[in-house]
Amino acid sequence: MASVHESLYFNPMMTNGVVHANVFGIKDWVTPYKISVLALLYEMTTSKPIALQERRRLNKLILPLQQGPDLTLGQFLKTVGECFLHSITLALLKDMEYFFATLPTPFRAIDSEAYKTSVVGLFMRHMLLAYNKLSFSQVYKLYKALQQYYHSQFAQPGVSPVGIPGLAADNTDMDLTSTEDTMGERMEKDELDTTPLHESDLSRGPLSQKQAEYFLARQAYLLKNDENKALKPAALQDELNNMLKFNPDFAEAHYLSYLNSMRVQDIFISTHSLLHYFDRLILSGSEGKSNGDEGYGRSLRYAALNLAALHCRFGHYQQADLALQEAIRIAQESNDHVCLQHCLSWLYTLEQMKGSDSSVLTEDSVKMAAHFCLPYLASLGIQSLVQQGAVQGKTAHELMDAMKETDILHWKHSLSELIDISLAQTTSIWRMYGKSTMAQQQAQLLLNMSSLEQVNFGVHQNNTEAFAVILCHLAELHAEQGLYGAVSEILKHLKDQFPPHTQHAKLWMLCDLKIQFDRAMNDGKYHLAEPHVTAIAALNKTEGLYRKALVLKALNRTTEAYSILQRLQLYCEKTKYTEMIIRVMLATAELHWESSGFATALPLLLQALSLARQHHLQALASETILHLAFTQLMLGVPDQALGVLHEAMEPVLAHGAVMDKGRALLLAARCQVTIAGAQPDCQRHAALSLAAQTLGEAAAYFSMLDCKERLRDVHYLQARLHHTLGQTAERNKCAMLFRLLDQELPAPGAAVAMRL
Amino acid sequence: ILQVQSVLKVLVTVFCSCYHPFGDLVQIKKQLISVISLCKERGLVHSVKWASELAFALDPLPKNELPPPAIFTEEDCQDLDAFGLAKSYFDLKEYDRAAYFLRGCRSQKAYFLYMYSRYLSGEKKKDDETVDSLGPLEKGQVRNEALRELRVELSKKHSAGELDGFALYLYGVVLRKLDLLKEAVDVFVEATHALPLHWGAWLELCNLITNIEMLKALSLPDCWIKDFFMAHMYTELQMIKEALQKYQSLIEAGFSKSTYIISQIAVAYHNIRDIDQALALFNELREQDPFRIENMDTFSNLLYVRSMKPELSYLAHNLVEIDKYRVETCCVIGNYYSLRSQHEKAALYFQRALKLNPRCLGAWTLMGHEYMEMKNTSAAIQAYRHAIEVNKRDYRAWYGLGQTYEILKMPFYCLYYYRKAHQLRPNDSRMLVALGESYEKLSQQVEAKKCYWRAYSVGDVERMALLKLAKLHEQLNESDDAAQCYIIYIQDIFSCGEQLEHAEVSTALRYLGQYYFKNKHYDEASLCAQRCCDYNDAREEGKALLRQISQVRDQTETSSTDLFGPLSSNNTPVRRVSPLDLSSFTP
Repeated sequence: MASVHESLYFNPMMTNGVVHANVFGIKDWVTPYKISVLALLYEMTTSKPIALQERRRLNKLILPLQQGPDLTLGQFLKTVGECFLHSITLALLKDMEYFFATLPTPFRAIDSEAYKTSVVGLFMRHMLLAYNKLSFSQVYKLYKALQQYYHSQFAQPGVSPVGIPGLAADNTDMDLTSTEDTMGERMEKDELDTTPLHESDLSRGPLSQKQAEYFLARQAYLLKNDENKALKPAALQDELNNMLKFNPDFAEAHYLSYLNSMRVQDIFISTHSLLHYFDRLILSGSEGKSNGDEGYGRSLRYAALNLAALHCRFGHYQQADLALQEAIRIAQESNDHVCLQHCLSWLYTLEQMKGSDSSVLTEDSVKMAAHFCLPYLASLGIQSLVQQGAVQGKTAHELMDAMKETDILHWKHSLSELIDISLAQTTSIWRMYGKSTMAQQQAQLLLNMSSLEQVNFGVHQNNTEAFAVILCHLAELHAEQGLYGAVSEILKHLKDQFPPHTQHAKLWMLCDLKIQFDRAMNDGKYHLAEPHVTAIAALNKTEGLYRKALVLKALNRTTEAYSILQRLQLYCEKTKYTEMIIRVMLATAELHWESSGFATALPLLLQALSLARQHHLQALASETILHLAFTQLMLGVPDQALGVLHEAMEPVLAHGAVMDKGRALLLAARCQVTIAGAQPDCQRHAALSLAAQTLGEAAAYFSMLDCKERLRDVHYLQARLHHTLGQTAERNKCAMLFRLLDQELPAPGAAVAMRL
Repeated sequence: ILQVQSVLKVLVTVFCSCYHPFGDLVQIKKQLISVISLCKERGLVHSVKWASELAFALDPLPKNELPPPAIFTEEDCQDLDAFGLAKSYFDLKEYDRAAYFLRGCRSQKAYFLYMYSRYLSGEKKKDDETVDSLGPLEKGQVRNEALRELRVELSKKHSAGELDGFALYLYGVVLRKLDLLKEAVDVFVEATHALPLHWGAWLELCNLITNIEMLKALSLPDCWIKDFFMAHMYTELQMIKEALQKYQSLIEAGFSKSTYIISQIAVAYHNIRDIDQALALFNELREQDPFRIENMDTFSNLLYVRSMKPELSYLAHNLVEIDKYRVETCCVIGNYYSLRSQHEKAALYFQRALKLNPRCLGAWTLMGHEYMEMKNTSAAIQAYRHAIEVNKRDYRAWYGLGQTYEILKMPFYCLYYYRKAHQLRPNDSRMLVALGESYEKLSQQVEAKKCYWRAYSVGDVERMALLKLAKLHEQLNESDDAAQCYIIYIQDIFSCGEQLEHAEVSTALRYLGQYYFKNKHYDEASLCAQRCCDYNDAREEGKALLRQISQVRDQTETSSTDLFGPLSSNNTPVRRVSPLDLSSFTP
């Protein structure tokens, strides 16, 4: 079961999961672009006769235009798609003062869209305020900029080149035109603009504080929720560097830079940015209290904690441990319980990542978090406990009860992120228990649930680990049912959603490899399975080792396989990885069969069975029962075997993979045939025809998977049965099918009698 | 086309032929005199100053040797009046007016002044506007609007090959201001080839070169001035030994009177912390040039390190008399107050220095130190961060940040900063010791040991590394290694001769005595014990040890093992000798 706790990290720009950028001081100033937005607004409020649809379109545009970065006039006009601005801009160029004087004052117009509390009104007030604050020289500068802004669009050759000098000569209103403003000089300026000097600088000027904040908030939100929609890492870094060049004090940009470099796993820049951010943060919070709740002491603690998180993310557990200890010590010294709780939850996460038992720590964490009313941390702790409990074999109803309790908590506090995690976890637990239908249902629930979080920037949150886990489970579940088309579609979606460099990409990589491996093994193409083993081992060592043993076993390199399995079992017993222990035992039992040591396999299988039952691992238990039944069949007690088999038949047919269903039915048929052999003639016929029927069902399952090797065996058995029953036509048909497959397949595999 | 340039070229070629042993100081002097007049005409005051200082250091020329005044071309004659008018406006800082009257001129000289006044006018407006700007974000947005136009015009002329050495220099400056550093380096190199004697171009080049590889890759004109450049460059790149060699050879070549070289050598000695040499040189410098303000902040740093209060106070008084509104003066006063432990006032003066020049690196770092003294860690962090922003390679600021976090008891957090500092000064033991201490606090003994040992190997300034290493070994029960370290430590302390206040020779001797005693080397043990008695804090234990040794020597083997069995298992033995033993030997 994959850990679903990775997404826990403290983000100072985030409260209750919502990312904010800081709000401070003076934020906005008047630029030519802002003036053109104002002109647009002015036009929209004064001239009423605009078609309704057009009006709607413009209304929708207002917010992005207000918040976005400055556009050139050309881009602006293209977006707005109107030329009615032309007249007003001309008027504006003639007399800027007059324009600002005639703007509908938000305080007067009560019923218009520009009322003081509306978005538009607020924007207008900001602009008016900023304009009124300008000194004379600044107004002059703004006017010059506005002129250039306008001319850079309309002074292009071909677009009324005559109108401009006239205009320049006209606007003597404020005595602003310099006497030197000759045509020649302007041409020179045009030339300047076309030189590819600082293309980025030319296309968009520096962002105002407000625009920068908006930009940061948007990118941070996108990074959190849907990485693919955010800017590409390199582009984002460029943008941030640009921003920092203009204002090195803009600390939040450093934090975003940290998040951004985490995306590309760049430890160097991410450490640098993180530390820089906190160095800056310490400044902004430095007034007054030095070590209190809000002062810079607080940011010190979180600085250390974040550093721990960073090292944790890069897998530097020792470093993370040291940083965490530091955070804990500082937090203790200043009695910051909230921070301590954060530290504690990181501590158990770290312990878990290192592979040691941390349930005591987690329990403490939950208790303390509940005491300090930190629902997020408390339920995270509970989820972690449930995960550990599931692995340790706690009874299912306890776990499910706990999950339900936390779910209530989540819904009460609208912790949508945790709801996702909880669903993903339930899916994983059901899957572990072998209830594929339940797992599938939970997975679909998450995928179809509309998120609680409000949809910002048109993006649903869907790139968290929870989604990755669920989609991987779905892929595997579909693979079990032989629906490989669906599987490849799911994987494709995963690849798009979680590109290979991202944090959760390993999940689907492993899942993809496992599915391919299983397919190759089922098809008997062991040479295809072998390269996957190395790839799997790179992602997950234990899994890789196990798969290696399977391949070796299939290739009849028994001794090597056995030694690997022994090693693996010891290792797994140490790490308490029960699922793997059982699977290893089953594989070992299969090895015993090959040396006909059926009797030696029995105690192993019984042990596996008790382990599986103890941990409620139904799928593995059924698998073990199949193995047990087969052993009994081989030991010559088919009655017993069939009895045992019936016990497993129901769960296998209900929840099992198609492969398992086929195998179970095939085994049942073999038992039936063997039992029939010992029965009197009259009953034998009926029993044999029953067995033939069972075989037919098994064949249907195998053909679903296109598992030719097993189909060949089944057809052979079918032919023999029909022969005994004297059904010549059916016999011939089966024999023909057998013959076809036999020709197609290279060499006969393991003896049909010798495998499950 | 240009006679001035051709004259210069001739000069250069003449000179280069007799360059190597600096044989012809007369030629150098001639060149200097002509370049001074060229720069003066063009308003390049700093280059004039540098060249004049150097010329002053050389012997005066006889009358017949004086270089002829530059020959006037036809164009120069035509532009003479306009140029004169414009130059006067230029000197009065009316740059736009100067540029206006120069716009029609054809001569190279006038063209340079035309472009240069346009550039300076842009810079002046930029500075004026910075004061006028609105919010914090806009501050970075203010830029010299003239730069782009200048660049276009200059690049046109450049590709046509019409730029002389001065114009190339200006083009380079424009490119640098536009952050086109690569192109700027190329243009500056070209400028030095066209006019090797213009120190301004070299200095700009110096600011753009960040590492030795880059320096080696440049093809520079082979001229005597290149040696000055190389020496300057080596100092900047912290390759002090090479720099000192270069300056030494320059002095031997006949520039011994140059205050410039003396100050540079002094700064170089300061950088390698050779305080005595540096102090001597600075004193000499002040004798020769008593009203000099440049580099005096470095001098004050040295005085500060040596805690020479009266000298520092004298220097401060003197500088205030000369000019109190200079960055250097403010730094000196800041240092003075800092030495008197009046840290608030010190910080105030550093702030004033920064108001005068916000890009003054030293002041940021020093202010950080002051805030550290005042225990105002957040302000200290701010100051250090600013210093790093001005120059990412300022190791003192990184080190200071590390110290700040260390004081905040965040040893893991400060590791990053110390590492940064260590990266910049790989051979500075202070960073290594700081790193080692942090590791020790984090109980990463292996790393700590490595750091201390490395600190010792690169030449330990504070002589603390070995002691710390030894103590670490002691803690880890590696008694052989510990003893070895103590031995080297003692040798080190005694060989260096000077008295260090924190020296812990007694600790070392005490440990060694016990160590030898434990290993039954009684002769050495008694020697150590005797030496112990020289120190107040170890006297008792030394005597006790001596007693024990004589006892053991007297007694039989068996009894001695009985007596000292438990003792030898102790790590810090002597201090734990049972009180009974001690009392019995108390004199």
